[in-house]
Formats: sequence, structure tokens, C-alpha cells
Amino acid sequence: MLLILPILLPVVVGILVFLQKEEAKRNRLVVLSVLLTAATALACCLLPDQSLTLMTIEGTLTVTLAVDSVSRLFLIVICVIWALVAFFAFPYIKHEGKGQQFFGFYTVTQGTLMGLALAANFVTLYMFFECMTLITSPLVLHDGRFSSRKAALKYMGYSVFGAGVALAGFFFLAGYLTDQRFTPGGMLDPARAAEHGHLLLVVYLLMVVGFGAKAGLLPMQAWLTTAHPVAPAPASAVLSGIITKGGVLAILRVTYYMYGAEFLQNTWAQKTLLILALATIFVGSMLAYKEQVLKKRLAYSTVSQVSYVLFGLLLLTPEGFCGGLLQVVFHAVVKNVLFLAAGAIIYNTHYTEVDQLRGIGQKMPVTMWCFTLGTLSLIGIPPMSGFISKWYLAMGAFHAAFPVVGMVGVVVLLVSALLTAGYLLPIVTRGFFPGADVTVEQKEVGPYMTIPLVILSAFAVLLGLFPNGLIHWLEGLSGLIF
Amino acid sequence: MSAYLLSLLVLLPFLCGFAVYPVGRRSPSARNILTTAVTAVEFILSLLLFGMQGMEGGLEGVCGFGLHFTANGFGSLLGVLTTFLWLTTVSPSQEYFAHGQSTHPDRYYLFYLLTLGAMLGVSLSADLYTTFVFFEIMSFTSYVWVVQNEKPFSIRAADSYLAIAVMGGLVMLMGVFLLYDMLGTLELDRLAELAAAVPAEKRGLLYAAGGCCLFGFGAKAGMFPLHVWMPKAYPASPDPASALLSGILSKAGVFGVAVVSCQIFLHDSTWGLVILLFGVVTMVVGAVLGIFSVDLKRTLAGSSMSQIGFILVGMGMQGLLGTENTLAVWGTVLHLVNHSLIKLILFVAAGVVCNTVGSTLLNDVRGFGRGKPWLMLVFLAAGLSVSGVPLTSGYVSKTLLHESIVEYIHVLATRGVPIGLFRAVEALFLFSGGLTFAYMTKLFITLFVEKPAQSQPVPKGASYMTLSTGISLAAPALGMTLGGLLPHQIMEKTAVFTQKFFHGENLEETLHYFSKTNLKGACLSLTIGVLVYLLFVRNVLRRRDADGSIVYVNRWPAWLDLENNVYRPLLNGLAFVGAFAARVVASVGDWVVLVGKIILFFRAPRIIVPGSNEHFGVYGKDPERDVVTETFSYDLMLAGIGLIITLLYLLLH
Repeated sequence: MLLILPILLPVVVGILVFLQKEEAKRNRLVVLSVLLTAATALACCLLPDQSLTLMTIEGTLTVTLAVDSVSRLFLIVICVIWALVAFFAFPYIKHEGKGQQFFGFYTVTQGTLMGLALAANFVTLYMFFECMTLITSPLVLHDGRFSSRKAALKYMGYSVFGAGVALAGFFFLAGYLTDQRFTPGGMLDPARAAEHGHLLLVVYLLMVVGFGAKAGLLPMQAWLTTAHPVAPAPASAVLSGIITKGGVLAILRVTYYMYGAEFLQNTWAQKTLLILALATIFVGSMLAYKEQVLKKRLAYSTVSQVSYVLFGLLLLTPEGFCGGLLQVVFHAVVKNVLFLAAGAIIYNTHYTEVDQLRGIGQKMPVTMWCFTLGTLSLIGIPPMSGFISKWYLAMGAFHAAFPVVGMVGVVVLLVSALLTAGYLLPIVTRGFFPGADVTVEQKEVGPYMTIPLVILSAFAVLLGLFPNGLIHWLEGLSGLIF
Repeated sequence: MSAYLLSLLVLLPFLCGFAVYPVGRRSPSARNILTTAVTAVEFILSLLLFGMQGMEGGLEGVCGFGLHFTANGFGSLLGVLTTFLWLTTVSPSQEYFAHGQSTHPDRYYLFYLLTLGAMLGVSLSADLYTTFVFFEIMSFTSYVWVVQNEKPFSIRAADSYLAIAVMGGLVMLMGVFLLYDMLGTLELDRLAELAAAVPAEKRGLLYAAGGCCLFGFGAKAGMFPLHVWMPKAYPASPDPASALLSGILSKAGVFGVAVVSCQIFLHDSTWGLVILLFGVVTMVVGAVLGIFSVDLKRTLAGSSMSQIGFILVGMGMQGLLGTENTLAVWGTVLHLVNHSLIKLILFVAAGVVCNTVGSTLLNDVRGFGRGKPWLMLVFLAAGLSVSGVPLTSGYVSKTLLHESIVEYIHVLATRGVPIGLFRAVEALFLFSGGLTFAYMTKLFITLFVEKPAQSQPVPKGASYMTLSTGISLAAPALGMTLGGLLPHQIMEKTAVFTQKFFHGENLEETLHYFSKTNLKGACLSLTIGVLVYLLFVRNVLRRRDADGSIVYVNRWPAWLDLENNVYRPLLNGLAFVGAFAARVVASVGDWVVLVGKIILFFRAPRIIVPGSNEHFGVYGKDPERDVVTETFSYDLMLAGIGLIITLLYLLLH
């Protein structure tokens, strides 16, 4: 029964949050929700693998929750970041207004994410996936302006369409599965699958592209750079850092838990998707480099960085898998640092464009130090965490089934790292070294905003310095799958 | 216990660096004491390295693979050189800030110590992974030095420095990836044997990996054509930082090139030739830049580049000579040490000048050194040494390098292979030596012989530098002079100590540095220098002003700037093309949606109301309200409803 708690708790508390008009009480409720959810999620993680069937739709179609290694990883990442961002959001949303609406949806969203992580079969996954899309849309249209409403609509259109394509794929696929539950190594019936190999690969391609919409994979990435920047900063942070990983999780489940790496290894579908992921990496970085609005720049960066994960997962090698999941964790942390820092800047100065940020490092030293650490990690400068994931991704690429695509992939990763340096480092250098003629008065944001930033950037550094625990754990996981 | 010493040596500056910043905020004097103490402790600890050769240590599990350190000959020498240079630049740094040349001293000292740790990490690294990690840290922390003054040109110079460092780092990372994939380990000790065992068909990939590493390390060393940041970054940084950048940080690049050339491509003549050619070009271009420059620090930057070229020539000759390469090994190491000490002296001296005059333009600093015998003496010692005048340490190292080229020519001649290329290399080697002498003469005469311009009277007095800065200048000068006077006792011992890293072997015969042939080479070189100075520098690079005074003019053609005319436009062009392609690809989704929208919301053409009934036409129809019914989606909806009704009919029938 414990498995239902992390889902139910935030949903119930979220409804109370909606109703609570008084700010202090509402904030207490939010804190209560994130902490309790984190505690129950942690309890789920610590317990041995178990599952819980909530209802049976028909025959073998059930809504089932289960906890396995992949869900543990996502549960922990989501809970930690959700709690930290909540604290950041208190002053930010107070300033922005409509606290009830924001925190209500914010809290409920965590429940759907927990459900997504705990989903034990495709139907459950799909259900929570759609819930997540619907419930996060209000976060995008928070300020209610025409452009935000349009962006939210675009977001919903792309996501629902993508998920719909994936669902259609599942209808095709269901007949070839031996079991509905996600199984490490896949659950395809080899005899039947062999008969319609190419059809199944087409279906696979469609499912990945469909879920890829959420993860910002080409060709359905366009919503991401429209929707993320218009949301309030804490929402953009979790949208970019966490929600995009919902798409990643779905693709991971489809690839490794439904099809299985063996079936997909060395196929044209894998090759096509690898090329798509690489194209996305390059396109995202390149457009980020040319973008002038800070939050938009970060959104483009997300497009690129999440595709690092997809590239790693689609390599279908143990190193690539580790690299991909490391990137999930590191990117979640780092992108939250960067978006929260951008939010702190907007909160404090109302600057949104990169050119305005001259001397910002002297004005807001703590925020910008965190931003700097995030930047270095995102580029992949040792000893920051991003370097470790890049190392594993490159090693995975060398051992991939397609040597040429692998080699090109490593080059693209490095070119993208160079572009990342190109679009983030100038903010840091201009921020801290604006020129001798510029004098800026120091004016830092309050501890509610700086402390989450500092904790997250400490994660970015410490996970880079001491990644071995995480790596060993992921290697154990990849041992199950391959 | 002593295994921890290596880690301590590397980590201590990092820890203290972060302590220095808050301390400095409260009390600048406490900060100064702390930095001095840290560098002194580091120097003493590093001396212990000599006694613990072969010792290994490290931080297991940090950064994934763990950071591993070892005390081998070359690394220890580089480590001691590092701590010595840091110790000697503490006092000039303090003087630099005392003269109000720059603000934000706390920031400077923070990154000053961080870079010390990173540099030690590079020197003592036992595997290429550790080298890479600390190399990257070093690139970023030293960036702050270049940008420290925050003047427009220093910001621009720092941007170039950072850009080339980042690019170099990433290309190098590619090389490290490839090496690790091919060899399975990155331990420096094992690279040579594993690389030798690489099968012939994968040799091409190995060269590619080596080339990538060379790009990264060469960029830091200032190898042509990646030198563009050097003549801009050195003048932009605070003077003690320039001393460190030129004296030791560039040697981190050389260390890396040595790893590639003397481990991975050990005794590989093809690779040796490549390094040699890069070295020759770097050597000549740097010297020419030095000659043309009209700025004290810029001249020294050109000189740095040129001397790195000399070192690379030695490295190339090691590969070409194969197993019989002791002369080249010694020449490389000794020239490296010499250059570190020389540039320390010259840049610190330039700092002394700049602290008083406030500028480093030759026209401004003219005659500054008149009546300052101590400054003149150390400057002279460094100048003579870098020019390779007999009885100086520079003579010894340059002779060794020269001898190695001559030896290779002999080897080729006995084999009956054409030697024209190497004759040319030898000629360029002597020519660059001559240019070195010429620009050092130019600097010396400008600073110490010529009279100061009347418009800018130079303040006199003994307080132009503090005693500790004086000691910082005198100590390396003394060491170098002793080395030059006692080549067998001091310099050869140093070289033998480090040769194992380069796989060099002991020389059986004793070398006669002052033999006739060796002296002949030096004399030829010096004669070229004198001629260049008298004929070119005095006549072409100077002009008599209207008021009769002689001034230096910048004759360097502005279009000969690789950075502004090639690299920046090239990168901007690439970015434009890339962004264009990216935009096209990225807009596919939006185009599809747009086309869909156009089809769905396509409105039927309006019905034209006859003119005779105009009023009815205008008021009778509200265009806004009819959007729905006039679009294609409305038709689709009707069709859908029809389908449903059909379906229902079929079901119920």
C-alpha cells in the first residue's frame, strides 16, 4: 500500500493548497507535502522491489505501480529537486502573484511524477504521462498573458499528440508482448517479433519520437523553447530539469523494458534515432548560442542537453546507458541551478536579456557563483559533474554498433560542449568582469532563494568529485538490463 | 605518510586559496602573510620530492577514475620549478597591488593559489586523466589573471585566452577519449609500451588521438598557429601573473607535448618531424614578433613563444634521433628550466618598471634603468642567457639543441639521405637565436642606455622596488649564472635527473661545451643578432620625431593578425552557417503545424455582394461570427458528424 502514498499525498495536499487563501498556511502545506512525499518515496526506495495493482481495466490491462531501480533513481531526483525548488518559489511566486494556483498545481504535479516513476506497465505510464502534461500546463500559462496561453496550448498540443502517437504504437505492439509488465531486457515474444521485425521497428521509431516530444527531441522540440521561458522561473526550472525527463523515462521504459536492447541493437531504427538525437544536440546548442533572452537560451540548452541523455540511452551499450542516466541526474541538478539563478536575477533586477547582465556577478555574487558552477558543469569541465557523464557517453559511443555514428556522436558532443561554453561563459565573464568603469552595488536575493541554489550547486560539484557511488549503482542496473 | 605528501602538495593551495579570500576581506596584511606562508610551505614540501622519487599517491575515486600522482624526475623538477616561481612572485604581486595597478587583490590571490594547486596537479600527475583534469582547472583559474585589470583590451585578451583554452581542452578531451579507448589505460608509465603495441592499421587513429592532444597542449604552450592569445594575454595580465603564465603555465603545455611525443610516440620519426616543423615555425614567428614589438611585455611574449619553439625543436629532434637522443633530451629539459627562470626575471623586472612608469611601451620606459645597477645586472644576466651568449646557462641548453640537429644531419649524411631540410632547420635555429639577441639588445639599450624622453621624467631613487622583490630577482639570476659557469656539475645533473621520463640514456663521452665548433655556432648566431639590431632595429623600427627625439614605431602590418583576420571571422562564419542550418531544421515542426492550421482554418472566399445592394452587404454579414462556419475544420466536423450518424445507424440497425 505504501506505493500509492507518494502519489496520493501530493494530490490531496495539493487540493488543500488550492483552497488555502492565506499565504503562510499555504506555504506550510506545500512544505508538508514535499517533505512527506519525499519521506514516503524514500521509504518506497528502501523497501525491496514490490508492486501494487490498483485496478484492472480489462483482461491483462491493469493500472499497476511497482518500484524498481529505475524508479528509485527518478523518485529520489524528483523529490530532492521538488523540495528545493518549492522553497525558492515562495518569495518568487509571492512577487509574481496567484500563489494558490501555482502551488496547487506545483504540488499535484509531483504526485503525477511519482506515478510516472512508479508505473509498472505502459498503460499506467501513459495515464500519468498525460496527467502530467495537463497539470503542468497551468504552470506555463501562469501569468495569463496571451502569449503564455498560446504557449501552453502549443505545449499541450505537442505533448498530447506525441503521447497519442506513442499510444497508437502501443496498440500495435501489445500483440507481440509476452507480458504487460515492464521487464528488464524487454518482453517481446521473439518468435512473433521476428516475423514482423521491420513493422515493430517502425512502431518503435514512432513511439520514441512521440515520447521524444516531451524530451525535446527533433522534430517535435518546438514547443519547449516557447513554453519553458514564459513560465515563472521555478516552473521553468522543473519543466526543464524534471518534466522533460518524463519523456526520457518513457523512452527508457519502451526501449529497455518493452523492446529490449537486443532486439533494437544494430537496426536502422536505432541509427535513425541516434542521428535525430545528435541533430537535436547540435541544433539546441547552436540556437542557444544565437539566443539573446536568458531564459530562452536556457530552454534551447535543455533541448540539447536532454538529447545527450537520449543519445546515451539509444546507444544500447552499458556505458552509454550509465552516461545517459548520469546525465539525467546531473542535468536535472544543473538546469535547475541555472533557471533558478535566472529567476533570482529576474526577481531582483527584472533583467531578461543577456546583454543587460553586465556586472551581475558583483551585484549578486552568491547567485552568480552558483550560476558559474552550473555553467562549468553543463560544459563538462572537470571536476564538475557534467564531465563524468560526458566521459561515459563518449565511451558508450565508441562501443556502439555503428562506429561512424559513434565517432561523429563524440565530435558532436564536443562541438556542443564548445557551443555551451559559448552561450554560458560570456554571461559569467561579463557578469564578474564587467570592466573597470562599471560599478555595481551589491544586492543579493534572500536566503529562501540562495540556499536552494547553493545546495543544488553543491550537488553539481560533489557529484562530480565523488560520483563512484552513483556510478556503481548504475552499473548494477545496467547489468540487469544488458 | 610520504604517499600523502603528493596529495597534500596539490590540495593545500586549493584549500588555502578558499581561505585567503575571506581573510583578505577582513585584513589585507593577514592575507599577504598567509599567501607568503602557503607558497613557502609549498616550496619546502616540493623540495622533499627530490628525496622520494618513484613515490606514488593519489585520491582514489575522486572524479570517477581517481586522481593519481607520482614523483618522477621530470614531474618533480617541474613541481619544484612551479613552487619556486610562485614563491618568488608573491612579493612582486604584493608590490603590484601596493602601487595601485589593480583592484580586487583578494580575487587575484584566490586564483593565484588555485592555479598553483592545478599546476602542481599537472606536474605530478601519474596518468593522463589527472593531467587533463588539472589542466582544465588551470586554464579556467588562470583566466582570472588575464582579465584581472578589466580594461577593454584585457577583457578582449582574456576572451581569446579562454576561447582557445576551452577549444584546446575539448579537442584534447577527444584525444584522451580515443587514447583511453585504444590503449585501455592512461597511466603515463605504460603509454609507451601500449602505444608501441598498437597494430599498424590502427596507427592512423593513434596519430589522430595524438594530434588532438597536441592541439590542446600546444595551445597552452603557445605553439603556432595557436599562439594568437599569447602576445595579447601576457601584456594584459598583472606582471607577476605574466611571469607565471610565461614561466611555468606554458610549461604545462610543454609537459603535455612531452607526454605525447616522448611516451605515446616514443622515437617515432614521423611524429618527431611534425613536432620539429611546428617548433621551427613557432621559434621563428615568435622571434619576429619580438623584434617588431614596441612594447616591453609584448616583446617578452614574442620571446616566450620563440623559446617554446626552441623547446619543441628539441622535442622533435628526440623523436627523429630515436634511441640516440640524449643530447636532444638534455637540451629540451635544460632549455625549459632556463626559460622558466629567465622569463621570471624579465617579467618581474618589467613589473618593476611598470609599477613606477605605469606603462610598458618602449617609448615610455626608455632610460628607466639608468642608475639602477641591480636591476641592470639581473636583466643583463637573463638577457645574455636567453640569447645564448657563452658562459651562460642559455648557451649550454642551446648548444645541446644545436648539437642534436647537427648530429642528426651527420646520421642522415652517413645514410646518404638528402639533408637539405635539416640544414635549413639549423640555419633557422641560428637565425632565431640571432633575433633573440637582437630584441634583447633592443630592450636592454632602451631601458638602461638611452636617455629618458624629456616629456616623461622617470622618478629616481632607490625605492623603485622592495628588498624582497630584489631577492626574487636575484635568486633565479644567481642560480642561472652558476649553472652557466658550471654546466657539468649543475646543468647536466639536472638533465640526468629527469631523462628517464623522456627515455633518454646516459651519455658516455663528456661534452665539450666550449669546443671550437660549438662556439662557432653561438658566434654566428650572435653576429646575426648584432647585424639585425644595427641594420634593422635601429634604422627601420625607429624614427626621429619632430622634436629630435628618437621613438619606436610599430611597423608590424595590422593585417597580419591571425586572430582578427582569420580566426574570429572564420568562427563567426561557421556560427552563422550552423545557426542557419539549425534554424531550418528546428522549424520543421512549426511549419507542419502552420500548414495544418492553414488547412484547418482555411476560409472560403467571401461572396461578393452586388454593388447595388451595398448597405445590405455590409451590415447583413458579421465576418467575425462566421469564422467557424467558413473554415475547413467546420467542414471536417460536419463530415465527422455524418460519419458518426452512419456508424450509429449501422450499429442500431
